[in-house]
Amino acid sequence: MKAFSSFLGKEFQESLRTYRALIMIAAFVALGVLSPLLAKMVPDLLNGTDMGGGAILRVPAATALDSWGQFFKNISQLGVLVLVIVDCGITGTELARGTLTNFLAKGLSRSTVIWAKFVAASVVWTLCYVLALLVTWGYTWYFWGNGPLPHAFLAFACLWVFGEFLIALLILGGIIQANIYGALLAAAAVIIVLNLVNIAPQAAKYNPITLAGGTVNLLSGQNSPGDYLPALWICLAAIVAVMAAALAVFDRKQL
Amino acid sequence: MTDQLRSYLPIIIPLAIIEVGLMVAALIHIFSHKKYRFGNRWVWVVISVLFNLIGPILYFAVGRGETQDDE
Amino acid sequence: MTDVLRVENLAKSFGKTTVITDISLSVPAGSVFGFIGENGAGKTTTMKMILGLLKPDSGSVLVCGEKVRFGMTKTNRFVGYLPDVPQFYSYMRPQEYLRLCGQIAGMSTQDIARRSTELLEMVGLAKVSKKIGSFSRGMRQRLGVAQALIHSPQLLICDEPTSALDPVGRKEVLDLLHQISADTTVLFSTHVLSDVERICDRAAVLHHGTIVLDGNLADLKARHGSTGLRVEFSHPDDLARFCALIPSGLLADPTDTEITVRTTDPKADLAILHLLAEHDILPVRFEVLAPSVENLFLEAVA
Repeated sequence: MKAFSSFLGKEFQESLRTYRALIMIAAFVALGVLSPLLAKMVPDLLNGTDMGGGAILRVPAATALDSWGQFFKNISQLGVLVLVIVDCGITGTELARGTLTNFLAKGLSRSTVIWAKFVAASVVWTLCYVLALLVTWGYTWYFWGNGPLPHAFLAFACLWVFGEFLIALLILGGIIQANIYGALLAAAAVIIVLNLVNIAPQAAKYNPITLAGGTVNLLSGQNSPGDYLPALWICLAAIVAVMAAALAVFDRKQL
Repeated sequence: MTDQLRSYLPIIIPLAIIEVGLMVAALIHIFSHKKYRFGNRWVWVVISVLFNLIGPILYFAVGRGETQDDE
Repeated sequence: MTDVLRVENLAKSFGKTTVITDISLSVPAGSVFGFIGENGAGKTTTMKMILGLLKPDSGSVLVCGEKVRFGMTKTNRFVGYLPDVPQFYSYMRPQEYLRLCGQIAGMSTQDIARRSTELLEMVGLAKVSKKIGSFSRGMRQRLGVAQALIHSPQLLICDEPTSALDPVGRKEVLDLLHQISADTTVLFSTHVLSDVERICDRAAVLHHGTIVLDGNLADLKARHGSTGLRVEFSHPDDLARFCALIPSGLLADPTDTEITVRTTDPKADLAILHLLAEHDILPVRFEVLAPSVENLFLEAVA
């Protein structure tokens, strides 16, 4: 337990001193600001556009839901991209450079390394996600006032769980290949495959990628929790499976 | 129009602060170090100044050198 | 004397390449053990198996009487390891790094503080507070020694600790190892034979995946006897007269006044002294040449 907390401390220190935490926080706060801004700008820019033939485009004024729609879109695209860029070296860099050898040779268990890295990355991701959420929530309330947000917790939790899934994938990819490219490859490959699977409409309900981006329809009342729960459970199961694989692969890894 | 513009201020100002802050942080780091993992000093200066938000993020994530020069 | 480390019939191959065919060796407590071999002989592979970082194909390793298991091995609490090029976190300061090492090894906060100060003093980094990223190679190697010793291990394993260093750095590290050997058993690999000569009392030679020579350095030298005699005269005429008395096949490396007599016969030195006295030749120097580690090594791998 002491080894775990020490190594976790090292992970946080690394996050801060290598500017990874700074990048994540700045990017997510910016995305939190950007979402209501974009929601507000789109109608202002488009309104009054001459469509030709005397038709003038009339776009309805933005609402709180537009702001949340932008939030989900931005975090699930740019936010996830930043998460992947920042955490792609989570395990690969250490294995490629051999910085773990000194600690493993002192009896640090390999599973401690994996769990400490998962927890540290999760804490940073959670902090950034909540920050972005609070910033968007503040602006949305300021501009439009917040009406009722049905199933808000589930709607926000879905994207968060998807982020956790990516962190687990980056850990596994880095362990297998022992470099950052393995992590990038694992994350990219899984996202591409999940997007391909989504071509079949009946699969969407069970596809973890549904958790990223689409949950604004829960807030609008257009969809019900039942449309997301299967994908959520599958995603949670996938996280457990990926972490188990990472532990198993690392335990057998010859260093 | 000015009214409309004014309504954007509470949102534009914080965003600008974050963007400029990140850019300045990146520039300080670039000029206080000699070695980068990829590219050279001027490439990173241009990227950090030209591409808001993404430029500094890219610099810190992939461009920043591993070794610390004397502080 | 008990064995701190015992390696029995260890074998390891990577794919089709066999690196270690069959190794057995034991390192008694308190010794400085030189593990000699050419580059690529399998020294690092052997050490990593001792640390449980690599899985042996067969054979076993005992550290302080406990069996080493691949993966996470409890025996590592007895062992300090200095990799050939130790890698650190460049964003940490040496004190912070040692603290983390101590915590991982399960030491108490007071012990860590005391031991870090001691070790940083010993390796000459006590006043260095800059980040490790800006350290020179020599400084990294010395910090490597400190991190390996933080938990006061019984056995220190060093992988080519001097090979990347300049002569000054090399001397510093060798002196350090010698100093440590007072209370820690040291096993270090090297391909530099003069290092072994300087600080080791035992050595093993690894060649083509097996141990070809193993034992106490003094015994080894004694067993292999003297390799010859070096005789120096004051005048070249004396040398010429001396040469006439000795079968020319045994003579080597002549200069104006010096010559070597190659022989492994232990009685040869006395016989030659008699010969010199009989013929009234007075040498100014008469030296029995002891075998160097280099001779032992070359003989072993021949």
